[in-house]
Amino acid sequence: MSAPVGHYQYDRIDRDFLQARIAEFERQVNRRLDGTLSEDEFKPLRLMNGLYLQLHAYMLRVAIPYGILDSRQLRKLGEIARRYDRDYGHFTTRQNIQFNWIRLEDTPAILRELAEVDMHAIQTSGNCIRNVTADEYAGAAADELVDPRVHAEILRQWSTLHPEFTFLPRKFKIAISGSPNDRVAARFHDIGILARPGEDGAPVFRIFVGGGLGRTPVIGQELFDSVREEHLLATLEAILRVYNAHGRRDNIYKARIKILVQAIGVEAYREAVEAELSQMDLERYRLTPEAVAAIRSRFAVPQLEAPADADAVLAQQRRDDPLFDRWVRSNTHVHRDPGHIIATISLKPAGGIPGDATSAQIARLADLADAYSFGEIRITHLQNVVLGHVRKDRLRDLWLGLAEVGLAEANIGLIGDIVACPGLDYCALANARSIPIAQKLGARFADTALQAEIGALRINISGCINACGHHHAGHIGLLGVDKRGEEFFQLTVGGRAENGAAIGTILGAALPEDETVDAIARLVDCYLGRRESGETFLDTLTRLGHEPFREAAYEAV
Amino acid sequence: MKRPVRLEPGQKLVLTANRLLDGRTVWWCADGSWDLHIGRAALLDADETEAVLARVAGEAQRDGVVGVYDTAVQAVMPPEPVTVREKIRAHGPTVHPEFAVESQQ
Ligand code: HEM
Ligand code: SF4
Repeated sequence: MSAPVGHYQYDRIDRDFLQARIAEFERQVNRRLDGTLSEDEFKPLRLMNGLYLQLHAYMLRVAIPYGILDSRQLRKLGEIARRYDRDYGHFTTRQNIQFNWIRLEDTPAILRELAEVDMHAIQTSGNCIRNVTADEYAGAAADELVDPRVHAEILRQWSTLHPEFTFLPRKFKIAISGSPNDRVAARFHDIGILARPGEDGAPVFRIFVGGGLGRTPVIGQELFDSVREEHLLATLEAILRVYNAHGRRDNIYKARIKILVQAIGVEAYREAVEAELSQMDLERYRLTPEAVAAIRSRFAVPQLEAPADADAVLAQQRRDDPLFDRWVRSNTHVHRDPGHIIATISLKPAGGIPGDATSAQIARLADLADAYSFGEIRITHLQNVVLGHVRKDRLRDLWLGLAEVGLAEANIGLIGDIVACPGLDYCALANARSIPIAQKLGARFADTALQAEIGALRINISGCINACGHHHAGHIGLLGVDKRGEEFFQLTVGGRAENGAAIGTILGAALPEDETVDAIARLVDCYLGRRESGETFLDTLTRLGHEPFREAAYEAV
Repeated sequence: MKRPVRLEPGQKLVLTANRLLDGRTVWWCADGSWDLHIGRAALLDADETEAVLARVAGEAQRDGVVGVYDTAVQAVMPPEPVTVREKIRAHGPTVHPEFAVESQQ
């Protein structure tokens, strides 16, 4: 088989390892079923293999390294949804997929099926380095400076089964981007990495530490401005060692690196990292140009050939079909090749469940990826799907194909493109349901012309303080809280994960569930009534401050 | 540590857990079995619950269930949990009416 476009190709060692790991887990499952292992003993073992116990069933989280899949892998995910789940899967903000209705006894068989396509669920849970996320437009966007996938893959290999970092104080999340436009929420990660070309052509890396959401939202601080490629792994290793040695293990709420960085200050953290580096064997961690080239060679390069009139064909089609034009406006991004374009497929149908896709939709996405984008698919941290390399003159055919399976919603970056965690409909930790609010908001703002009129506005919903729906980073954020067993929502405004990262400000007391959607509609009305020409929601909010929005939200209460 | 149970008038307690094999939510019945349907759950008074819970939890492995605990319900037929969380566990995700526990065997 030729190397896949977009992700690293496994070799024999990778595959043998996965089989051994599945056999081990199967034995653990059997010992759990026959009672040799208690639940307390088994729980950490199943979590290491991505298996959670939720409200109604087991949930399996499958890793999608840096969010990139090939069509064969996506098809397999669809088959698993059909065969072992209830015919759908849920794509998450960490570019993974979760299956909500898994049986414990089926899990080894599912893992074997995943291994057939070089996939697994390892390190999707537990206090280890989780799936490294990357820019969803990697290797395709015109605004990209460095393709982050090669280094994301290097980080994947470094962090997978790293013996020293398997039992960190707490989970650890890394994101990497190579564009000046942050599309990975770099400053909300334990480590955020922004790559750019250095003077000698080799990339250099700007590294942020200590960002995060959850109970204590913190914006990551710059630890180093320009780490050279050869020192990338040594630097990360040193950052993790300092955290592993000094991060708190006595209190789960204070265990993330962000708390350590806050406690000692970023300067002291930097000094500790430098001290660690000074006594490390740097040779051992040196990332040589040869090593980078070897990884790069495991990625196939798409042959981007387009007819000379591809751009003109697309322009004409947009003039002829206003609906198509609207979709192109919201759901595409400029490709580095003038004959190609990046298409983002919304998994946010009006009134639907954000991030869910049926097995039929998943299968169709795989077919469309084969037909239009070199068989390559990306999952975004906003729970959508990207086809990275679509020929401009074929974009309309893709759009028509998407429409057949209800995936042609024109709402990327707009109010309908809601991010929501599973919430109390599934999640054992939840306070409130996230999905129904998303559905009601989606239905309320279903009109795509209205959405285009409202412009860039991101709503994020989390069902509890763990913030899996990134509510602190939403332009409008909703946090579910429990008041005596009833669902309430706290509203925040002004958060953003992109450049100029900010944590949303709480508007006031939490609202009962049935008043929340109306309150948000009033926030939007307040913005539409007061915005000046060309302003987005965030612009108007910045100009006017929170007070008018607070008044609007609480007006009827 | 067991928190003291405060029941409102008209409320009782039921025992619930997840099935080991498939994780499904189940409810403890008077005959010692576990059932998907809360309608068959045994209704317990606050003062007897602690002892019953301790006994039933001790048999969880034999019974193929995980994480036994008690929760308050309105003592009507079928009993209805007091909290949204337990209502959702009893009836299934609200966003997929087709998966309602009531429609399953
Ligand atoms: C349903 C099962 C899930 C459970 C039990 C769960 C659990 C948690 C917990 C406990 C935290 C807080 C960690 C901390 O602050 O130290 C967290 C954070 C997070 N989770 Fe989840 N989660 C679940 C699903 C999801 C889903 C579906 C997504 C994506 C939509 C997701 C993405 C995240 C993200 C992005 C964070 C924030 C990381 C940070 O604090 O910086 N999780 N999760
Ligand atoms: S934010 Fe809370 S409710 Fe939502 S998935 Fe995370 S842990 Fe569950």
